[in-house]
Amino acid sequence: MQLGKKKYAYAGYLYILPWILGFLILQLYPLISSFWYSFTDFQLLGSAKFVGLKNYKTIFLADKNFLQSLKVTMYYVLIAVPCKIAFALAIAVILNQKIRSINLFRTLYYIPSILGGSVAISVLWKYLFMNQGTVNNLLAVVGIPPHDWLGDPVLALGTISLVTVWQFGSSMLLFLAGLKQIPECLYEAARIDGAGKVRIFWKITIPELSPIVLFNLVMQMINAFQDFTPAFVITQGGPLKSTYLYGLMLYNQGFKFFKMGYASALSWILFFIILLFTSLTFKSSESWVHYGDTL
Amino acid sequence: MKKSVVALLVVLLAMSSVFASGAKESSKEADNVTLRVSWWGGDSRHTPTLQAMDAYSKKNPNVKLEGEYGGWDGYYQKLVTQVAGGTAADIIQIDQPWLNELCSKGDVFAEISATDFDLTQFDADFLKNYCTYNGKLMGLPSGTNVNTFIVDTKLLSDSGIDPNTVWTWENIISEGKKIHQKDPSKYFSSATPDILRFWFEVYIAQLAGEVVGNNKRVAFTEEQGTMAFTYFKRWFDEGIVAPFSQTSLFYQKFQENPDWIKGNTASAWDWVSSMGKDIGTKQNIETRQFPVMAGAKNSGVLMRPSQILVVNNNSKNKKEAIKFLNYMFYDNEGIITLGTSRGIPSTVIGRKSLAEKGLISKMEEKATNEGTLQAGNPQSVWQMNSEVIQTMQDVIDEFGFGKLTPQQASAKMIQSLNATLASL
Repeated sequence: MQLGKKKYAYAGYLYILPWILGFLILQLYPLISSFWYSFTDFQLLGSAKFVGLKNYKTIFLADKNFLQSLKVTMYYVLIAVPCKIAFALAIAVILNQKIRSINLFRTLYYIPSILGGSVAISVLWKYLFMNQGTVNNLLAVVGIPPHDWLGDPVLALGTISLVTVWQFGSSMLLFLAGLKQIPECLYEAARIDGAGKVRIFWKITIPELSPIVLFNLVMQMINAFQDFTPAFVITQGGPLKSTYLYGLMLYNQGFKFFKMGYASALSWILFFIILLFTSLTFKSSESWVHYGDTL
Repeated sequence: MKKSVVALLVVLLAMSSVFASGAKESSKEADNVTLRVSWWGGDSRHTPTLQAMDAYSKKNPNVKLEGEYGGWDGYYQKLVTQVAGGTAADIIQIDQPWLNELCSKGDVFAEISATDFDLTQFDADFLKNYCTYNGKLMGLPSGTNVNTFIVDTKLLSDSGIDPNTVWTWENIISEGKKIHQKDPSKYFSSATPDILRFWFEVYIAQLAGEVVGNNKRVAFTEEQGTMAFTYFKRWFDEGIVAPFSQTSLFYQKFQENPDWIKGNTASAWDWVSSMGKDIGTKQNIETRQFPVMAGAKNSGVLMRPSQILVVNNNSKNKKEAIKFLNYMFYDNEGIITLGTSRGIPSTVIGRKSLAEKGLISKMEEKATNEGTLQAGNPQSVWQMNSEVIQTMQDVIDEFGFGKLTPQQASAKMIQSLNATLASL
């Protein structure tokens, strides 16, 4: 019996071998080397010379772009993530109703997530929101003067965030699955006790969904901190670096100026920032996430 | 346990047989050569290049040519990554400012030798000034490229401006402002923030010779910087150029701005090699010379190879790569097929063959002649450094968005440039 168990384990390793190899070669190795490079002056072409903490010192003490990007990225996360989650939840609640051709709507609302991260959509966004773009033309119909949605340093970040919010599909799908899991008896009991729709939503739906809210929050936050495409394709970080997301700054240091050592240091700092915020979110979740099994 | 060992052996055996057959495959094709050629451009360059490659392969059936081509965006990033990873193409098109940056990192490109190419076909100074690194010839110029100043003669005359005006720094403002005065949605210049930086560099070149010298020092004084910024502030104040909030979205892509496409702007700073693509289907476009101030130290008008074609030093088929380059530069069929897709050829035979066939457009020829006459000194390697360019751009952006006065902008630019140069 024991022998049989052992055999089973070996076969299992063989099955996951492709993943393990992929992880070791494509993830662990780059991870370790980038950590090493962050202490060197590696310039992509040529060799890497150890410089100790120089890169980190420059980032914290002399690099003005670092603080600017960090600020912009924080705002971006603060705008994009809550909006996206709220939007995804709202749509999921609507799609949870018994409506005709509901499957069609569910598919339609998921489409932006399939297209969303692509360069093509970012280009489309640019043409929608530019000075003579569709949005301004539509606003003109109702008499609102045109705005430089992407050219005004105050408005640009918000406009860029919309691209992210618009890709709410995967969060929505998770919420939808969560909504289906909520036992009907809870709603029934609440209705018998005379609770209204709003009260039911806040007292039953939200607490029951809270583990999924936590999951979405963490995943979306991690993604948003690393976001790159919309800023790169639509605004290139401008105007006046108002959309200079951390990911874009990192890319510029690495692939525009070829300072790979410096870029590696930047990415490790980003890693710790994400780690910090994720831990804080998990820590806070103790007070607001409600797991069904503790009922 | 035993079974799993057997299974592992079977897997290894299967793998080795796969690789063994792969090895056989490649030895069979040993006589056949595959050359990879990489370049950036638009369709007007892609199509002729692919045609020339096809024609060459027909004549040399053992050579298979593979093109790796696309737009300008991200080309350099991809190239440097490929060079670092040892996977760059055999023949590579590079931009002149990259030559120094890439060659300084090692023997990335093969040295061009006079035994492989007839170098007398090229202008010796052109090769020496733009294609050498540490005295060694590293590549061949595909064509001659110069700055040009293009104007929309119809918009000018519609706004009551003589379309044949010889432009000076002063009449760009005194005449140019008539356009915006007549129609507030129209402007004289199509400059985006990056193009305004080019204009700034031209102005400073005329005032002070250059922005950053080969000695790695800022070459202009704070007064000269203030003069330049004061001048360009008038471009914004008097409606010569649209505010940055409208144009910054088209950074490095002024030709995609609907205002330019629809003919709402009357002029553009451009390179002859990209002029065709930038003009597109626009009518009534003519080329003009740049304004030059009295006593200018340097015209600031740039002339350089359109691109440089280099052979990858890691290429396993350097000989074949050289043969194909010879076809591109000297073979009549190659020259005619490629046409002016990389600017007006830099070889005597290339210009002659195309001129005989009437393949050089009048406009391109005129622009190249005008530019060559006006061309000033080449920019220093430091002024072309990507971090230095970004530093200049950041200050120009703040100035253009009205965050800095001319005095502040000048002081900040000098201070920022000094800091950047010190870190390089």
